[in-house]
Amino acid sequence: MTPTRIILVALGIAALVAAPLGQGNYIVYTLTSWLLFSIAAMGLNLTLGYAGQVSLAQAAFMGIGAYVTALMTLAGLPWIAAALVSVAASFVVGLLLGYPALRVQHHFLAFVTLAFNILLFLVLRNEEEVTGGSFGLVGMPRPSVLGISTDSNLNFYYFALACFLFAAFVMWWILRSPWGRAFKALRENPIRAESLGLKIRRQTLLAFAIGSAFGGLAGALMPPLVQFIEPGSFALIHSLKLLLMVVVGGAGFFFGPMLGAALVILLPELLRFTEGYYLIIYALLVIVLMVFSPNGLIGLGQKIWLGFRPKQEERRDMKKGFQL
Amino acid sequence: MLKHLIGTAAATLALTALPAMAELKIGSIVELSGPGAAAGTNFRDGVKMGFEEINAAGGVLGEPVAITEYDSQTDPQVSRAMVQKAIDDGVVAITGTVFSSSTVVNMLVARQAGIPQFTGSEAPSITSMNNPYIFRTAFGSQKGIPKLTKYMAEEMGVKTVAVVWANTEFGKGGHTAFLDEAERLGFEIVADIPTEQAQTDFSADVVKLKGIQADAVFVYLTEEESARFLREVRKQGVQMPLVGDTTLTGHKVIELAGEAANGALGHVGLTPDANIPAMTAMVDRFKGQFGYTPDHNAIKGYVAAHAIKCVAELAGKADSQAIADRMHGLTLKAADCPGVLMDTSWDDSGEMSRESFFVEVQDGKQVVKAILPAN
Repeated sequence: MTPTRIILVALGIAALVAAPLGQGNYIVYTLTSWLLFSIAAMGLNLTLGYAGQVSLAQAAFMGIGAYVTALMTLAGLPWIAAALVSVAASFVVGLLLGYPALRVQHHFLAFVTLAFNILLFLVLRNEEEVTGGSFGLVGMPRPSVLGISTDSNLNFYYFALACFLFAAFVMWWILRSPWGRAFKALRENPIRAESLGLKIRRQTLLAFAIGSAFGGLAGALMPPLVQFIEPGSFALIHSLKLLLMVVVGGAGFFFGPMLGAALVILLPELLRFTEGYYLIIYALLVIVLMVFSPNGLIGLGQKIWLGFRPKQEERRDMKKGFQL
Repeated sequence: MLKHLIGTAAATLALTALPAMAELKIGSIVELSGPGAAAGTNFRDGVKMGFEEINAAGGVLGEPVAITEYDSQTDPQVSRAMVQKAIDDGVVAITGTVFSSSTVVNMLVARQAGIPQFTGSEAPSITSMNNPYIFRTAFGSQKGIPKLTKYMAEEMGVKTVAVVWANTEFGKGGHTAFLDEAERLGFEIVADIPTEQAQTDFSADVVKLKGIQADAVFVYLTEEESARFLREVRKQGVQMPLVGDTTLTGHKVIELAGEAANGALGHVGLTPDANIPAMTAMVDRFKGQFGYTPDHNAIKGYVAAHAIKCVAELAGKADSQAIADRMHGLTLKAADCPGVLMDTSWDDSGEMSRESFFVEVQDGKQVVKAILPAN
């Protein structure tokens, strides 16, 4: 990391710390939702943007995390234990699903994960004795950290922010580790990667499972935030929403999913003044963006930046990038 | 589009130009997009019309009412955010939501802030949570269904029955309540068919019905699904009488199902076609203003607006706590508070009761066959 980058990241964190101060509950709550979805989208970005696999089951992994955490905290166990079990459960389910599923790639994998998401939704809804069925689970407590209750929205925001920064740090560490470089190699050219001794299947499986574990962590934050969960919150449409976040923000860019999550959550709010038209405008904006910049907003930003600084030569080997 | 934008901009300018005056803020949190949009829009328009009338007549205790609308997107997580927003905006009371899964979440937040909430939801669980700030605008399905089953047993002579229901919080509440009553009255359940929310193809479910013989089919689906189901029943020529509670014979369903809705029977808490002059007049005004026939959700919203006004005036102040306290154990008579349309009582849990109707759809209209007493 260059010194400018370190300063920028420090400024970013300072902005996140200052963002909710003096704001109403609604803004704080929406910011917390954004942090939560950013974590899930970061995980999907690892699978999609770095390892190049299309997963439509990220919401299902959030669901696993959310239900495990909800059931454990309702039973009186501390949140941290529940969150660890949630992350582990999502990781293991990711491995179990990925092992057979990753025999197929790209859009076939999308179908398999789509089926898994629907399956999980049906299980959550029909196993009423455990999951409460379509009535959902209500009244999950918010955790206390070092004796400080997170019942107020502001405290819970900082709690979520800590989880988010931790997740972002882990992601950054993974990406610059040999694993992360292997993931990128796979995306760019699987045959060349294999010729260099990378085990393609093992690496994609690992990326998929780690991505799922991030979904589990995001899921673990949901019961204390909303204090109600129901199967509908983890249906296929939400997986598509997460996919949209990653693609709109910029798949394969570290900050892409965060930007995408902010946009997907905030844009409908900003467009609300157009009343009934906001969904149409929103959809049009996404289509236009995808046509002109398949690399998402960050890709678009880079294009514009390079336009102003034409002397800087782009690295040709990075040009291919992620392809949906 | 442009008109809308200019309109909004003009309205905003006009509002900011006005001098600040005391006004009563009401948050209308409803499903304006997603699967609940049909029900939510009706409820929203009902609330809007109610408060516009109240404002035209001098407001509540002399203060004009300002409604702010929030879209829950039929998503509990968004709905919770909207309640937070409404509370941040300083509302005195909340009207909505219609879908129970959102209402369950909203209740928790509104309770913490002590804001009374007038919901259009009918799931039984809502009033069983000891929440002193929730009030229904239509009685819960656990109260409606006994009325219906009693009528089925006594007037229709039903002995065997098939059940078609939506596998959601709404549908399950009705399903459980119906099965309990059916057992009590000794109905034999010959088929039990669950369906999905947003299901588009009901052919397999209707084929199942064709294979059985029952005195009646109890249908408990939300609006759009009811319409699709009725169309499929007509297509396949099933002859058994179809009986529903509230939704099956609703106006939205009649509009969507067209011809296929004729002959459907149902119990409705509120109907624009009841021969109550106040309600007929309200329906006419609504049609004039919004250009469509209101369904029970619109009337619920309208009643919510007027109940808030009357209760605030009874309590002597437009204060959240005062309204909530005064609502418990209250009976509003249509003679004293014409906006509630019919005599209505609320108990300590926020549950309400009033007379209701058994209707049949004939030529695209609800025809009242019997008035069922309050219970």
